[in-house]
This record gives sequence, C-alpha cells and structure tokens, in this order.
Amino acid sequence: MPTVAVDAMGGEFAPGAAVSAVAEVSLLAGIECVLVGDAARLQPMLEECRYNPEWVRIEHAEEAIGADEDPRRAVRARRRSSLAVALRLATAGEADAVVGAGTPAAVLLTCARHLALLGGVRRPALSAVYSRTPEYAGQDPLALLLDAGAALEADADDLVRFALMGGAYAGRISGVPAPRIGLLNVGPGPQAGGEVLAEAHRRLAAVADINFVGNVQGHELLGGKADVVVTGGFAGRVAAGVIEGLAEVAGGVAAAAAQQNWRWRLGLSMLSQGFERLRGLTDYASYGGAPILGFERLFLLAHPRSSAAAIVNAVKVASRAVSEGVVEEIESALSRAV
Amino acid sequence: MAAWLRAEGGPREAAPPRVVFRWDLDKTYLKSEFESLRGLVKISLEKAEDKVAAPGVTVLLRSLRRVAEQSGRDVRVYFLTGSPPQIAGAIERKLQMDGIVYDGIVFKDQLQQLMRGKFRHLREQVGYKVTELLKARREEPEGAREYLFGDDWESDPLAYSLYADTVAGRLSPEDLEGLLGALRVDPALVGRVRGLAAGMPRAEAVARIFINLERRTAPARLRPFGPRLVPTFNYFQTAACLFAEGMLGAADVAAVARSLRDDSDYAPARLANSLADLQRRGHIDGSAALSLRAGLREDGLLVAARTTARERFAAWGTRLLARTGGAKGPGALGRGLTRLLAPPSPPAPAPAAVVDYRALVAQQEAGE
Repeated sequence: MPTVAVDAMGGEFAPGAAVSAVAEVSLLAGIECVLVGDAARLQPMLEECRYNPEWVRIEHAEEAIGADEDPRRAVRARRRSSLAVALRLATAGEADAVVGAGTPAAVLLTCARHLALLGGVRRPALSAVYSRTPEYAGQDPLALLLDAGAALEADADDLVRFALMGGAYAGRISGVPAPRIGLLNVGPGPQAGGEVLAEAHRRLAAVADINFVGNVQGHELLGGKADVVVTGGFAGRVAAGVIEGLAEVAGGVAAAAAQQNWRWRLGLSMLSQGFERLRGLTDYASYGGAPILGFERLFLLAHPRSSAAAIVNAVKVASRAVSEGVVEEIESALSRAV
Repeated sequence: MAAWLRAEGGPREAAPPRVVFRWDLDKTYLKSEFESLRGLVKISLEKAEDKVAAPGVTVLLRSLRRVAEQSGRDVRVYFLTGSPPQIAGAIERKLQMDGIVYDGIVFKDQLQQLMRGKFRHLREQVGYKVTELLKARREEPEGAREYLFGDDWESDPLAYSLYADTVAGRLSPEDLEGLLGALRVDPALVGRVRGLAAGMPRAEAVARIFINLERRTAPARLRPFGPRLVPTFNYFQTAACLFAEGMLGAADVAAVARSLRDDSDYAPARLANSLADLQRRGHIDGSAALSLRAGLREDGLLVAARTTARERFAAWGTRLLARTGGAKGPGALGRGLTRLLAPPSPPAPAPAAVVDYRALVAQQEAGE
C-alpha cells in the first residue's frame, strides 16, 4: 500500500483542493494519503466531503510557505512548514512519495534540504509533463521535458543523467520499454548548439541504455519524435513556459476574433475541437503533476493553480511510481551507465 | 430510613438500568444491496448462507451483550428492519449462524401496504420506524437506556432522532405529527404515532445513535442531528466509541479490530487512521484513545507509529495502572499520569438542545 504525503497548504486553491483530492482518493481505497497542514483547518473541510478515514492521515504543520514569499528565506525560516513536514515524513519512511502544489523554487529548496540525492546524481531535475501529438498509435500523448528549471545550466554529464532518469521514469509510468530520448537543440546535426550539446549528443548516442533519437528542435517539441526531451534548466524553463502560454494566447486571440463579426464566430465554433486540443496541451488536471527526479523519494509537483482533480491525478501518478519502483529503476539505470 | 439501611448493612445498590441495543438490518448489520431492483429481488431470494454481515459487526454485537451481562445488567437486543416478513426465515437463520442472541425482530408488512394500494408507503421508513420504536419503548422498564444502530442509506438518522426526542419530551406529539405529515407518512400511521407518543412516559432514553456511513456520507451533513448521533465509518470506530461510553472493554475493541484484520484485510494503518479520525471528530476523548492505542499496538493491531514523549509517558502510566490496579500508590500515580499526559482532546461539539427538524424534514423531502 503506497503512502503519499500531500502538502495541503501549497497552491492557489489550498487547502481546499488538496483536502477534496485526498477525500476522493480515499474512496478508491488502496492509497494511503497523509494530509499535511493546519489540522484545525483541514479536519472541518474533510468532514464536508465524502471520504474514507481508513486511508487518510492528518499530520499537523503549523506553518506554510506563501507563494509571494522569497523562497530561500521562507524555507530557512519555516522549519515546520507543511512542505518541510511532508518531506520529513518521506525521509523518515512514513511516506513513499510527496505531492505538492507549492512554488517550484520553494519545493526544490526544501527537497534539497531534506532528501538525499540518489547515487550518481549530481543535481536533481525538475520535469515538465506536456501533451503532444503522438506519432504512432499507442504512443503516450504526454511527453516529459527535463530539466525545466531546477538549475540554469547543465553540462553534458548532467544531460546524460537527465536522460537516464527521464527514461527510467517514462518507461515505468508510460509502460514504454525503451522511451525515445531527444536532446533539445537548435539544429539537427550532432555538432549543433555548441560544445556542451555536441558532447552531450555524442555521449547520449554511446550509452546502450538510452534509446537516443537525436536532436529535437523547437518545432518538433510538440510532436511524437521523443518521449523524453532533455535540456538545461534555462532552455527547459523557457520551453515549458512557452507550451504553458500557448493555449492561453490562442484562447485570447480566438476570443478577440469572436468579437469582430459573426462569420469569425462561426468559423471558430467549427474549429472548437482544435481549440480543445490546444487547451489539452496545458491541462495540468489531466496529468496532475511533474516529477522532480534525482532524490531518494519522488516529489510530484502539481501546478500552483491545480484543482482537486489535478491533485487526484498527481496522487495517482505518485502512487503508481511507488508501486512500479520508479526510484529504484532510476537508481539502477544510473548505476549501470554512469 | 438512612439509619435503617445502615443497620441492615448499608444501602442496597439499585440494579443497573436495562440496556437495549436496537439494530437496523440491511446496510447496518448486513451488507445488502437494495439500491437496485435486482438487488431487492436478490435479497428476497437469498439464503442465510449467502447473506454477509458487515465487517466486525458480529463480534461487536456479541461483545455488547456479553459485557452487559457480565456487569450484571439486564440486556436486550432487537432488530428493526424495513424488510418484509417473507425473508424472516433466512434472517433468523443467518443470525443463528453468526451466534447472535437477540430478543426480537420486527419486519415491515409490505404485503399489507400492497393490498391497500399504498405503493408510495412501501419504501417509507420514518413513520414505520418511529411507530415501531415507540411501541417497543412501551415494553421497556423505566430507566432503560437505549443504543440505536442504523445507516446512512435511508432515514435512520431522522427516524431515530425523532424517536429519541419524542421519548425525551423535547418533541411534542403535535410537533411529531406535523413533521410526519410533512414527510407524507401514511395518515393512518401518523394518528397512531401521535397516540403512542402522547401516552409515553418522558425519559432521556436514547444514549447514542450510531450511524454506519456505508454510503460514505460526509459527516458534516449529520452534524445537525447533534452530538448524540455518532457517524462511524466502520465497526471498529463504533466499538471504540462504546469503549469510551463504558459499554465495552479494551479487549472487546481489540476483538473487533482483530476480526476486521483477519476477515476483511484491514491493515494496522487503516485501523490507526480510523481511531485518529474518530478522535479528531470529537467522538472519543484523548485519554480513551490513548489507552486503546497502547493496548492495540501491543497486540500488533495498530501500526506502531512514532510516539511523542507525552504518549510514551501516558502509555507507561496506563501499564502501571493495569499492573497495580489500585486506587492508591503507584496505581493512582498511573491513573494521574494517564489523565494528565493525554493529548488535548478537540473540544466536544456543543450539544444541540433542539434539533431543527423542520429544516431536516425539508432536506429529506428535497431528496438532499
């Protein structure tokens, strides 16, 4: 029975979204959730929901890290924050994975403070999960991009490690035996992108455990060429931000166009399926959360604007990752290749 | 008089009042599926061997009778069901198979309603249950204390609460008549209920109403019924509450927990979470939970979670108390420690002096 700690106080809709999500998960039976946060607020909220207490624990934490706080200072000052308490539960073995919707910087800093890195990992990677157009029937409609901002720079060594970690995660979660790994780059050739990327290209192609498909350029990112795209934190953060902003921009353009005249409105309604597809690109409710890879325990980072449905999915993914032994698989992939 | 009693060797202790346990059957004692027509047909054709009791309920029911008898109390166990008498044979056989000793069982005569063409009243439960409860109450001696057990599928919370407040005198026969009328209960039955209520000696008879949350109804929805009504998610929670009420011993709660573990795959973590939930909802206080936890952990029935210094001290106090058993010396110290070091309980919900039945009836009629 996997136990997932949920930081109830992180995110824009905290703690209501987390409480509703945990209540819903408890009815499915089979995943124990530990709601971490202000017990005096969580309990009455839980009692408003249909839930099964046999699968819910509440761990009191008197503090929380706010979205508008300086993450470094807040993490140092709030040792009893819900995030820190959730991670302490993971360190103590009382939780197998952690889910939270706090700000990525605060989450990464707190993870680094409480969790040990896996052997062979020099720096953790923050992932972004995004919807893409599959290339063949049965291909997972979701792809993984890492690093999406844990560190600004990465050398060739880091990129190889990201590929191993991302490949192990995607292999277990998507059930793809050999996920296709691509390197985000500005051109198709092995020498494109400068010294670091050329070196990374050479080494990725040489590792037997990695199903390397070459460089992935910007226009290929949303296609099915690669299941896992590796890049440095700076480019990854920019790419993830662009994907996230796409649907918003398209939605705005469509709304403005619809106001112009009835012909445009008619045309847009005919394209509604396409807009739905575009919205799917950033529908974080459908995939729940993005994993932070490289630590001894898995952290599923949900979007700060996550609804209860998104957190439910994040908890399910976290539980699946525990059952499928994702962390152990990452550790073993790293030890084989590095 | 006092002097005479002393001359006779001290005042004679009054016999403890009778304790009555009234149980609903489907979804409370039995895991029945009456939410579909298919389920209803299945129930009526089922043999005793096919009927399944809710996890832990048989151990709980047997323990309640045994503990009451051992403490010298006169005890009665009754069943009140909305099922028709045609299935009586299977039910009685099932209870016999489960080793349940009971003193009576009332079935709903659906056939009579059918003959009268009262199809709407076939599924009506509030009027039927209040009538039968009031009738049954007349048979009880003065001072009999009742524990009622139902579920969240139909209208047990409302029917049981109406009955409890009518007997207690908080609800007049006229008010009860009005409420049943609003619920569109068979007028013939309403008149009968009014007559029964009018002749009822007033007594605070109902100690607790336990509602088995089989549908997982949000507990907050049952809060308007007041603290007398305890919604529980499994019979381990019910047993823990009854332990806090003094109706069961810690070993009996452990027996219920063991049956859940052995027969229904309840892991120790699920039991620990259930107990913590009950405590957080204010239905069991800190010291009762603490003493239960210590024993259950020793039996391996609860997960051995991290304990605080306060809990370790209190557990030590409990052990000391159990070993010495005395009121003086180390025993008293143990008891004092247990009490002092127990974690602070959440404040008990304020007793609802008056249940707002008009709102509850309106809710029920709106199908909420």
